[in-house]
Order: sequence, then structure tokens, then C-alpha cells
Amino acid sequence: MVRTKAHLLILFFTIFFYSCNLFEYQPYDGNISGETGINVKNIKRIKQNTEGKTTIRFVMMGDSQRYYDETEDFVESLNKRNDIDFVIHGGDMSDFGATKEFMWMRDIMNSLKVPYVALLGNHDCLGNGENIFEEIFGEENFSFMAGNTKFVCLNTNALEYDYSHPVPDFSFMKKEIQNIEPGQEKTVIAMHVKPYAEQFNNNVVELFEYYVTKFPKVQFCVNAHNHRLEVDEIFKDGITYYGSDDMRGRNYLLFTITPEGYNYEVVYY
Amino acid sequence: MKWCTIKKTLYIGGLFLMIPFFVNAKSKYEEKAEKYKTHWQKLIPTYSKLQFAGSMGLLSAGIGWDYGKRNQWETDLLIGYVPRYSSSAKATFTLKQNYMPWKFNLGKNISMEPLACGLYVNTVMDEDFWVKEPDRYPKGYYNFSTKIRSNIFAGQRFTYNMNSDKYSFAKAVTLFYELSSSDLYIISAFGNSYLKPKDYIHLSLGVKLQIL
Repeated sequence: MVRTKAHLLILFFTIFFYSCNLFEYQPYDGNISGETGINVKNIKRIKQNTEGKTTIRFVMMGDSQRYYDETEDFVESLNKRNDIDFVIHGGDMSDFGATKEFMWMRDIMNSLKVPYVALLGNHDCLGNGENIFEEIFGEENFSFMAGNTKFVCLNTNALEYDYSHPVPDFSFMKKEIQNIEPGQEKTVIAMHVKPYAEQFNNNVVELFEYYVTKFPKVQFCVNAHNHRLEVDEIFKDGITYYGSDDMRGRNYLLFTITPEGYNYEVVYY
Repeated sequence: MKWCTIKKTLYIGGLFLMIPFFVNAKSKYEEKAEKYKTHWQKLIPTYSKLQFAGSMGLLSAGIGWDYGKRNQWETDLLIGYVPRYSSSAKATFTLKQNYMPWKFNLGKNISMEPLACGLYVNTVMDEDFWVKEPDRYPKGYYNFSTKIRSNIFAGQRFTYNMNSDKYSFAKAVTLFYELSSSDLYIISAFGNSYLKPKDYIHLSLGVKLQIL
């Protein structure tokens, strides 16, 4: 009887400590709990939700690092709308690359009613951050279909890597240019850092733009990183780069791609 | 008296005169050697510690020194192990300073320290982490170190003084728990109501074996 009681007590404490996540081994331990592989799951949802659509609406935001309250407010305000297909988080989920930062931001973004995808930001690469990002969100370079538009999401944080790791990855871009998805008519390119920013590999900016223009009907490019709203036709080639503000700015970019073209607005919350 | 006898007497007398000098010199040397030894003996760790969690590894083990009038200060050196999860396994090194302002006897051999608090600095041995950002970055780009974490803690301790006739492995055994937080979390919690104490305050458990 006493033994059973002792066992029950041990079991109780084990469950209690385990469920409360009270113990931490190291801020960079990579010990992830909760959902992983988010981008792949949400890409499926986006594809299903926008199947056959020729008009799509999406939100571009990013740089939510350490702005937990502001990001919660963003999610709350977006959940009041029902005219949005999906959200692109332009990167910098974390500020220090610490494991828990990614989980906190994931939990906030998971409250969104609409699916979202997350891009890799330069802060997400700190320490072993890119390993955590990869497990929770997904690959550094990926693409997905929304209606008749392909979204190509690229890692452009060149300063975080050495030459053994290609950033931007031209072979990925080439593969995406050649691989036309069924029903793909247009392309939007998303990245954390835009060309000529200090993070970008500025030795290859023109080559990068050359590849960008090779995609079918590029509508525009979106980026984050600069913590301010920006509209910039960097290469004077008809392709505009739209930069989102950070979450402290309490606004997001709302794009509507229509059969005639596209429009955008800045929404404050 | 023959000249040689005088010489002999002088010689022997001289030796006798030198005896106290020899004796004195030896004891002075011994004194110095003793002093030298006791100085270095102070560097012998007085206890060893084992700690579970605490943002410095799954398990950390090390040695330390207690000092002060009531042995209210402790300095630990710990080596920790972080197992492989989403990234590779890592070794960590910790320098920890403890302060226990009070100590109460609870029974014949049991005492309690109602507060044990202090600071510790933890470093990760891994090539992806830096103390100062590498030269490729513009100056002050990140302005923090991924490698070095500062932590603060507060906890409590219970000590059992061992009967030296029965047990030889330690003079006393102390069990302790600590609540701690790291600099990154304190900065993050500041100005964010989303983060609650359960997010940034962590529990750790440990045992200390008092050897000397």
C-alpha cells in the first residue's frame, strides 16, 4: 500500500514536471515540444482553399521577434476578417535564435484561422536557430501554389552563411523556373532580405534579378527585414519589391491578385 | 695545548656553534614549506555537485569551494551535457556563485538554508556560437553573444550531516532546488504580457556532497 502510494507520488511529480515544461536544459538545446513541419501542412491547406481561384488575397508581415503582444494583436485582428486566403511571415520569428522563441511565435501564429507559411530570417539563423526553424516550420527554400499563382520563398540571408552553402540558391531558383505547376500562370517571389541590403550577397544581385525575371509573369516581390514599409522598384525592370514593417509598427501589407493585375493596401490594427 | 688540539677544539666548537643555525634553518624551511602547502591546500575543492537542468545542460557535474565566516559563499565550476535534439549534442561550462545568507538547524543532523541565490555564467562549446559576432558583420549588428548566457537563481537547500563512523563518502549531503532565468528570457519578458513566469522561469534540482 505504502509502495503504491510512493509510486503514484513519483508518477504524479513526473507528469507534473514534464507537462509544465519546468525544466530547461539550455536556451539553445533544440528540445522542441508541440507542432512541427508547419509549412508543409499549411501549403496543403492553402492549395485546397484556393483551388480554381483567380483572385487571391494574402497578407505579408514579418519581423515579429520579441514582439509577442503585438503579434498576438495581429492574429486577433486578422481572425476578425474572413476575406483572406493566407499569411506569409517574412522571417525573424526569433530575436536570438533560442529554441523557445520559435515555439512561442509558432503558438501565437497557430491561432490564425487562415494558414500561414514562415520564411527564414537572419535572426532565425543565430546559434543553431536554422535547425530549429527547419524542424518547426520547414525548408529554407520552398514554393507553393495559391490559385493560379506560384509563391517562391527564398533564403536570402547570405551573411549568415559561408560559401559552402548557396544563398540565394540559384539551382533551386532554376529548378523552380523550369518546373511549371499545373495551372500556374503567375509568380510572386518572397524573401526575408531584399537585394542590396547588407545581408544579401550583393555580388550576385544582378544575376538574382535575372533569375527573378525568368519566372512566369512575376507580379512583384515581397520582403521583410528592414523594419519599415517600403515600395521599391530596385532594378527599374517593372518588378516592385514590397517591404513589410515589423510587428511593432502594428500594420501589415494586404495584397489582392486579380485576373487584371494586383493591388495592395497597408492595414493598421 | 698543541696547536692542532686548538684547531680541533675550534673546529668542533664551531660545529657546535653551527648546530642551532642548522636546526633553525631547517625549521624555517619547514615553516615555509608548510605555509606553501596550506596555501595550495586552500585550492582543494571542498565539495562536488551534480545538478539536473537549470539551462546549463541536462546534467551538470563539478567541484567547488565554500568560504566565508559561516561558509555562506560557494563558487562552483560545472561541466554540463546537452543531448542531441534538433541540433547536435553540446558540452557546456558553467561558473556559478552561490550565496546562502541563513542556516537553521531542523534536527540533530538536519539543517536548512531557506535561501540560496546567486548568478551563473554558462558557455556552450559549439562552433556555431560566438562570444563576439564575427568580423563579417557590420559593427554592432547583433550586439549580444550566442555563446555566453548569464543566469540568476534563487532556491532552498536541505543538508544532512553524515555520521563519520558510518559513512566515509562525504561529511554532509545537501539536496537543493533552484528557480532560474536567463538573460535572453528576462529581456524577452520585459514589455511582453504574453510571456508568463512559467515560460521564462525554470526549475532545477541538485545534490551537493561536502567532502572537506
